[in-house]
Amino acid sequence: MYKHQNSRSSGSFSWVFQRVTGLILVVVMIGHYILMHYTPESGHSYDAVLARMQSNWYRVLDLTFIVLAMYHGLNGVWGIFRDYKLKQWQAITIMSLLIIVGLAFTLWGIKTILDIPYVQTSTSELLVK
Amino acid sequence: MAEFKKFDQKNWVKTNLNYRKDSGSWAWILHRITGLALMAYLFMHIYSLSPLSQGREAFNEFMSHYTTPFFMAMEWFLFAFVLFHSLNGVRIVLVDWADGARYHKALYRYSIVIGVVMFFAMGYVMFSHEIHKLFK
Ligand code: HEM
Ligand code: HEM
Repeated sequence: MYKHQNSRSSGSFSWVFQRVTGLILVVVMIGHYILMHYTPESGHSYDAVLARMQSNWYRVLDLTFIVLAMYHGLNGVWGIFRDYKLKQWQAITIMSLLIIVGLAFTLWGIKTILDIPYVQTSTSELLVK
Repeated sequence: MAEFKKFDQKNWVKTNLNYRKDSGSWAWILHRITGLALMAYLFMHIYSLSPLSQGREAFNEFMSHYTTPFFMAMEWFLFAFVLFHSLNGVRIVLVDWADGARYHKALYRYSIVIGVVMFFAMGYVMFSHEIHKLFK
């Protein structure tokens, strides 16, 4: 076994973080899949989502999920581009695009979750059209 | 000694198809493909959840297109991508950080078995309601 090189000075933060986020995502992702298919409605109907979103734990879970998945996914895509010898302008363009698109979609997803209203569950039909 | 061939960047698809592959090379290629597919799905997912902001009618109407048997099957196959990427991701981390190189062949076999079992278990979770309707 090789001893670890000093990971702080060698620019490998993103490499370590890719693994750390990956390991967290395993749990979140498989949980998400089971939850979203537990019944045919649970992942595909407004009321199921509305009911979950009454709990801030679910909101926080979803926001964590979107941030981690987006970071991990785009960092992975960047890693693929890095396998090719990019000219500096190409690297900068691609990196900027990934960051801009990633931020836009992350904010969009966050907005979707935060827009969902809080209602009294027993009378939710009356309070939300 | 044969001359060392430089990796040909321009023809990387061909280069990747031509060298001799063992389980590890396939795992690497599939890890890439599944990772990219999941990223594409994540973008579509955020787009398709956005009608949640417009209330019940809009969201349910939007979702009604995606609850057909075809899309249910697609969601199941997507889980195969999720499983491959996650199990192989864990395998990579174990091989690197937990001395997994000593048992990587076994790790590969376990991953495949766990993956197949979880794929069918998820199939049961997803389709049991339909199955129960057929046999009651
Ligand atoms: C479900 C749990 C997940 C685990 C355990 C995981 C694990 C990993 C690991 C360890 C790597 C680095 C591979 C290496 O060191 O060579 C990686 C790469 C990658 N992941 Fe994930 N990941 C997961 C989920 C995701 C998700 C949700 C996405 C997309 C949104 C994604 C997209 C990618 C991409 C594009 C790469 C780069 C592939 C490459 O360099 O060939 N992953 N993943
Ligand atoms: C095909 C099966 C899937 C279904 C039916 C599904 C369904 C849903 C639903 C209904 C939500 C709304 C929030 C909630 O109720 O918790 C949600 C959120 C989310 N899903 Fe999925 N999902 C699936 C697969 C995936 C996959 C494969 C990924 C990762 C690439 C993913 C990533 C996310 C993220 C990040 C959120 C939070 C979205 C946000 O913050 O706006 N989902 N999903």
